[in-house]
Amino acid sequence: MKTVTRSFLRYTFRRRGLTVLQFLGIACGVAATVGIVLSARSALTGFSKAIEFLKGKSTHSIERPAGPMDEGILVRLMGDPAVEAFSPVIERSLRLSTAAGAPGFARGSTSGVLARGYKPRASSEPKARPLTGETARILGIDPFLDKNVRPELAYAVTTDKADENLSDRLTFLTKNNAVLVEAQLAHRLGVSVGAAIHTVKGDFEVVGVFPNPSGEPLLLMDIDHAQRLFGLDGRIDRVDLVLNDEPGFLSRWENGYHVQTSLKRRETLAHMLRAFRLNLEALSLLALFVGIFLIYNTAMFAVVSRKKDAGILRSLGAYRSEIVGAFLTEILLLGSFGGLAGGVLGYFLSRFLAGEVGGTISNLYFFLQPAPPSWSLWIVVAGTLLGGIASLLGSLWPLLELVRTDPVRALSGRTADRRSGADARRLATIGAGMILLSLLVLFLSSTQVYAGFAGAFGFLIGASLLTGLALVLVSPPLKRTMARLGGLPGKAAAGNIHLNLGRTAVAVAAFMVALSMSIGLSTMIGSFRRSVERWLDNQISGDLYISSMDELDVPVSFYDELRAVKGIEGVDPYRKTLTSFQGTSAYVSAVDAGVLQRFANFAFLKGGRENWDRVKTGEVIISESFARRFGVKAGDTVTLDAVHGPAKLRVAAVFYDYTSEHGILMMDRAHYLRLFEDPTITSLGIFVDPGNPKRGEILAEVGRRAGDYDLPVFSRDELHANALKVFDSAFAVTTSMRVLAIIVAFFGIAGAILTLFIERQREFGIYRALGFSTLQVGGITLMEGVAMGLLSFIMSLGVGTAMAVILIQVINLRSFNWTVFFYPTGMPYLLAAATALLAGLGGSLYPIFKAWRTYPQMQIREE
Amino acid sequence: MDPIIRVIDLWKEYPTDGDKGTAALRGARLEVRSGEIIALLGKSGSGKTTLLNLLAGIDRPTKGRIEVEGRDLEAMGEKGRTQWRRLRLGFIFQFFNLLPTLTAFENVFLSLELAGRPDPQLAVQALRDVGLEGKDHRYPHELSGGEQQRVAIARAIVKQPLLILADEPTGNLDTQTGRQVLDLLVEQCRRASTTMIMASHAASTRRCCDRIVRIVDGAIVEEAPAVDFEP
Repeated sequence: MKTVTRSFLRYTFRRRGLTVLQFLGIACGVAATVGIVLSARSALTGFSKAIEFLKGKSTHSIERPAGPMDEGILVRLMGDPAVEAFSPVIERSLRLSTAAGAPGFARGSTSGVLARGYKPRASSEPKARPLTGETARILGIDPFLDKNVRPELAYAVTTDKADENLSDRLTFLTKNNAVLVEAQLAHRLGVSVGAAIHTVKGDFEVVGVFPNPSGEPLLLMDIDHAQRLFGLDGRIDRVDLVLNDEPGFLSRWENGYHVQTSLKRRETLAHMLRAFRLNLEALSLLALFVGIFLIYNTAMFAVVSRKKDAGILRSLGAYRSEIVGAFLTEILLLGSFGGLAGGVLGYFLSRFLAGEVGGTISNLYFFLQPAPPSWSLWIVVAGTLLGGIASLLGSLWPLLELVRTDPVRALSGRTADRRSGADARRLATIGAGMILLSLLVLFLSSTQVYAGFAGAFGFLIGASLLTGLALVLVSPPLKRTMARLGGLPGKAAAGNIHLNLGRTAVAVAAFMVALSMSIGLSTMIGSFRRSVERWLDNQISGDLYISSMDELDVPVSFYDELRAVKGIEGVDPYRKTLTSFQGTSAYVSAVDAGVLQRFANFAFLKGGRENWDRVKTGEVIISESFARRFGVKAGDTVTLDAVHGPAKLRVAAVFYDYTSEHGILMMDRAHYLRLFEDPTITSLGIFVDPGNPKRGEILAEVGRRAGDYDLPVFSRDELHANALKVFDSAFAVTTSMRVLAIIVAFFGIAGAILTLFIERQREFGIYRALGFSTLQVGGITLMEGVAMGLLSFIMSLGVGTAMAVILIQVINLRSFNWTVFFYPTGMPYLLAAATALLAGLGGSLYPIFKAWRTYPQMQIREE
Repeated sequence: MDPIIRVIDLWKEYPTDGDKGTAALRGARLEVRSGEIIALLGKSGSGKTTLLNLLAGIDRPTKGRIEVEGRDLEAMGEKGRTQWRRLRLGFIFQFFNLLPTLTAFENVFLSLELAGRPDPQLAVQALRDVGLEGKDHRYPHELSGGEQQRVAIARAIVKQPLLILADEPTGNLDTQTGRQVLDLLVEQCRRASTTMIMASHAASTRRCCDRIVRIVDGAIVEEAPAVDFEP
């Protein structure tokens, strides 16, 4: 190794504390990015593998525009010349439990409903118990038809291997609760052939185990048994097809059916995750963004502390390129090792996040149970590269500084970089320009979410460039205040912040960015939660809700039964299902318009309850996300594929909704039945007059009757709580990232304080010579740290609030097509203040400890 | 014999906040012949360091010309000036300016490495020549001021340069150590017939030199053989 390079690299060992801080900062920044990207990729890979595995050899699938279809279609398909093979499918998801015992209900059954006695069970029935296990996909297939479409699956059912006897295979066909279990799931549950699996729909008997390369938990059941299990007698969800003549087939089945290629089906589902993925990845960039600030800060320090060395080397005849090479080696080595550690950390983080991401996708979009990412050396390579590239980016400006180093000035002895106010003003001008440009991008590109993210990041960078000027402007009052509070050490601390702008402004900017993002994200999440709460209060206003989870459809007979119960004022039979609209996915839902008009309090963009009058006459209402996504407004007409061909539907009004960013088109149940012939009921909303003296008894009666059908019952509050639980889990990843960004920034501010301390050891010696005590020298460092933390916080008040507005009005609106109302609260600001204070204090501790320990050696002379 | 260094009407102005810059050098003229040891005397701020920096090519003149071995230093360009320092020049500073992260040996070896002759034996020998045998692996902060300056001398002489520029080489040392260091430096130069220009504000330096040059307010006002020089 060249001696020049060696001379630079040895600084990393000499200044171990700073090296460790920089290393940790890079590692955390990279870990956040790697963790998110890996978990998101794992989810998508799991999704692709699952789709690919379940697709088998099928080229197309056919289904009704909405809901299951009559199995009579199979006879017609059998006679179609374009069909080489077909397989009817029922596809649902089920919550499992590893606990021994009899079946019970999911979360709802153990909640307040039972406690209030609304849901009595027959005494002979086993007690309900929580099903805390994972959720699995269950596929109902006809093994004989399916072997031509999914030979691998059929092989699992019909193979005649030595270790499987004929009776097991016959059991699959003859026993109602017989299932085949995917091998990894069987391993996790600890079950083998003959064992029982407990589910929300009762106990299943394992009659075989099969391998599933996608790793997705999967159960196979004979389709006949699956029909009975899900109350779908005579109906199937879809038919997977192997076609040899697509155009011919489409010409015969275009009306009343939805035929799509397997590729299109996969694309449609993947498209649903687009906004979710984008937001996730943008979030991960935040931690890296703060990490780059940290790298900049440390690289700047490296340059400052090596300026004199660079001057010496230049005077000895070293080329600029040799000095730059040595500096880059140092930065890249640290960045790469930090990135390497970050890659490993990120891998472990991704194992935690994969479950969170999968859970969120399952809650918000469709069933997905991604396998945890598997280890690969490429993770380390990617982390190393990321750390290296981030280090290069963060070091670009400091590198320019080094290249421009004037050897004469450097040799004159002054190594500290004391930026003038002019520099701060120049940077602030650039920053103001960036903010203006970002605002233009934000407001001129009205729909592009990518432009939204670019604008938001541009705004943050612009705001961070204002930091230097802000510190210059705030310097006089800060000096007065700190002198009043801390005497001479306070005055010195304030002066140091002002005089070392090159260092302090970067640290304050990095921390300000992290705090601003924390305030912005917290305020956005808080506002979103409050908007959802208000929406729930308005829209989910029934006294009881039956089912609505775990694919437990409500039998129509039960709906009819409840309508006849005396004292029940209204029963809303809610149906929500995915359909195709304009070549992509959207939801269609059915409600009892009369009941909702009377009891619910839907928030419409325009108008009120009178909108329901037109729904009763066959018009539809659409969610705000539907309106924005497809550019439809009240008064327009939309065309929806229905059982008897395309149906033109007039839009009566637009309502606020937060259930799906892909949009919901809502109509009266009578109209829905005419269009789709789908009697399925997803859930029932029960409305009882609050003034009815027998209200309690009526609700108890509903609970009792629901118990007879093994249907879970939720009170309004419980349903609200469940919805908010889903909401909170959806933002779990966001919260993790926010915390990581704060941690990275913490390393940044601690590094900056340590940097200042190392740079000014000589000055501390002078303070000592002037009569300052060790305590006072420590006090200067502490006050600098706290003041920098608080200055970051003060700046983040404005920038964070602006970020909240951008996240709500631009990012959220463009990503998810819904309006979140701005509900600022004090908590995010209080949390940011506490974080700032703690970071300032915490960041100062090590330098103070170092001052305390090394004080006797602190000399006025140069190092 | 042709001079190896010619300084012709050299001016150096530094920008200040006012309209006019401050002139550190005002039309300095000087000729240096091979093997000469010249003392550059002058008060603090008289322009000694500026002249040395310009001769080393780490600073650029505002006006005038420097010729090294008959070539215009300015016309050599950045790369040429770096090569000049790398191969033909040794620089010794008042504050030693050793690289703090390198040992004594590495500081000396660095000079050889830059000159394209990375022979460790030469570095060891140079340290032996300045009386630092056995202290090769000590870091600068583990050496006394006099020892640090000896390392700096070894670093300058090890590559056998054409010219050594010494900027107040004893200015940061006590009298006795300063005398020892000065004797050592001159002895090394004499032995290798190396030319040296040594800036100093102390007239006592003249005892070792061939010629004295006095600089006042940026102008060379007097040149004389050391024996004739009146302090």
